[in-house]
Amino acid sequence: MNMMQKFFQGFRRGFASYSHDLAGIISVLLLTLAYFIGVGLASMFSRIFGKHFLKTKRSKQSRTYWKDLNLKKTPIEEYYRQF
Amino acid sequence: MTTYILGLSCYYHDSSAALLRNGIIVAAAQEERFTRKKHDTSFPIYSINYCLQSQNITIDDISYIGFYEKPFLKFERVLFQHLEMFPWSLRIFLTSMPSWINERLSLPKTLSKRLGYKGDVLFVNHHLAHAASSFLVSPFQRAAIMTVDGVGEWTTTAYGMGDGNNIQLFKEIRFPHSIGLLYSTITAYLGFTVNNSEYKVMGLSSYGKMSKRNPYYDKLKKVIDIKEDGSFCLDMSYFVYHYKGRMPSKKFCELLGGPVRKPGSEVTHQHKDIAAALQMITEEVLTKMLCHLHREAKCDELVIAGGVGLNSVYNGKILHKTPFRSVWIQPDPGDGGTSIGAAVYVYNAVLNKKRMYHMKSSYLGPVQSTAEIRSFLKSNEIRHSEFRNNKELICTTARLILENNVVGWFQGRMEWGPRALGNRSILANPCNTEMKAILNLKVKHRELFRPFAPVVCVDDVSKYFDCDNPLPEPTDFMLMVYPIKKEFQSKIPAVTHVDGTGRLQTIRRFQNQLYYDLIKEFGKISGVQILINTSFNIRGEPIVCTPRDAYRCMMGTGIDYLVMDRFLVKREDNPSHMWDSERYAKD
Repeated sequence: MNMMQKFFQGFRRGFASYSHDLAGIISVLLLTLAYFIGVGLASMFSRIFGKHFLKTKRSKQSRTYWKDLNLKKTPIEEYYRQF
Repeated sequence: MTTYILGLSCYYHDSSAALLRNGIIVAAAQEERFTRKKHDTSFPIYSINYCLQSQNITIDDISYIGFYEKPFLKFERVLFQHLEMFPWSLRIFLTSMPSWINERLSLPKTLSKRLGYKGDVLFVNHHLAHAASSFLVSPFQRAAIMTVDGVGEWTTTAYGMGDGNNIQLFKEIRFPHSIGLLYSTITAYLGFTVNNSEYKVMGLSSYGKMSKRNPYYDKLKKVIDIKEDGSFCLDMSYFVYHYKGRMPSKKFCELLGGPVRKPGSEVTHQHKDIAAALQMITEEVLTKMLCHLHREAKCDELVIAGGVGLNSVYNGKILHKTPFRSVWIQPDPGDGGTSIGAAVYVYNAVLNKKRMYHMKSSYLGPVQSTAEIRSFLKSNEIRHSEFRNNKELICTTARLILENNVVGWFQGRMEWGPRALGNRSILANPCNTEMKAILNLKVKHRELFRPFAPVVCVDDVSKYFDCDNPLPEPTDFMLMVYPIKKEFQSKIPAVTHVDGTGRLQTIRRFQNQLYYDLIKEFGKISGVQILINTSFNIRGEPIVCTPRDAYRCMMGTGIDYLVMDRFLVKREDNPSHMWDSERYAKD
């Protein structure tokens, strides 16, 4: 009984470790796919249309880099939103 | 009816929780102190449990949870980074996405699963949480607000005004342009860890050339364009942090004349000058920003928040370099502090309840009773003696410090914030020229260029320091550096930095009677009313939290004595192998 218990415990541990590794590999594969298909296509289309998502260029001519924010108290419902 | 609000900050760095009872902060702690992982980012389950237990309540008693950012807005920024930088950002996409999917975008689910909480969760913008964490617990009814950190959702720097219960942030600078990330980039270039060792670069800067003749000043000016109103823009060709797991680009390394310094290798003059140039540029940006803010806000009071608020070298110059007349910074202006910010913002701004709290001390963490400590010592068979009263405790400890012993000081409630402020501290004699080396050899094992901090009673501060008058309150939280008067620099060599300054902590008797009296007693027998106060921890570990952590730290280092509550433990009386054994390490 003791031997059987030990065997199943070891089997369970080994299988958990195997499934963990497998899940890791699958998630890397899926994420890579999502990156190249989702992010990649969107990125390429946006480049074709001249859209930039980050403002990385600087304009020495402008007098200021401050942008309007106007962040202030809003109705409580707004705070339930995660965006 | 009692209103409890829980504030949370997690998943980026320095997770923490804070609890408000009817608008008053009754408990707050960083997760790292419990998990013993420095800057722990995980869901702050231990901090939450501590907060609830401290008030003897359960999660069902919580009316609202305030969270320190808007996760979807932050995720939008992360996605936009990938869209902009495709295909160079693949690696960080693969490493960061699982945590976004599993944790960061499903906070209400996590709260329900981990805490059984089904109540209201309010999400406060990151920089509003920063602003609230300082303004709403400050002594000011009206103040100009500046928040400067690495990055929140999109904002890296913002300014605005606080008036009564309300906060309005007018302007911002957006990612990827960030003075905090510039500081972190050079921290990485100098071989130190990002989001951890920025203060080392600040300490190192005093060794470099603090003048515009410093060759690295002009070089770094190529990296950043600074306008007269303090707004700035980085030349992103020098950085890769927006799409890689590291900070400086090849071009940045070429500009500074060499590769990234290897950790542990020699710190050269070049490194010191780079740190000095960075500090000068940071100060230039902040001074211009604050002067602009003063013109806009037309207000003489200032509060600062965000990680850059930990730049104590600059904090000590604010009132001298800008038109502001008083300044306030809370003990943890970085991301850890935003749990307090989220909670007070919900209470004071969202629920529009009257402000009734001014943070006058930082002792908001866990406490162990005398009985608990006695039981710990007894159950682990730790040899100790017990003081009969506070007078004996103070006199004995002061004498031990004067005899050049290194003393671990563990009393009362743990401090809130990254500094040990007299309840989880290591204390030593500042008059001994060798004490810096002794502390480094016995305990801290840290870089030799780093200074140790002095603590002085508030009524003695003007005797030793050339500080602002009136003295700004953030000195109580070790957030300002001031010059030490010339005549005392040689008398307290262990706390005098290379440029003749000290990052002082001031202490008022109502904040911590025992600590205050100890410094006074040391002054009586030594003639100098100052002690060295450094954090009670082993290098690389968070500050100690429990008696077990304190005892383990002492036994693993060269701390000579541990004064824990009313008990005195001598390291030599307790062989370390006893503690290491399975039998005794049961606690």
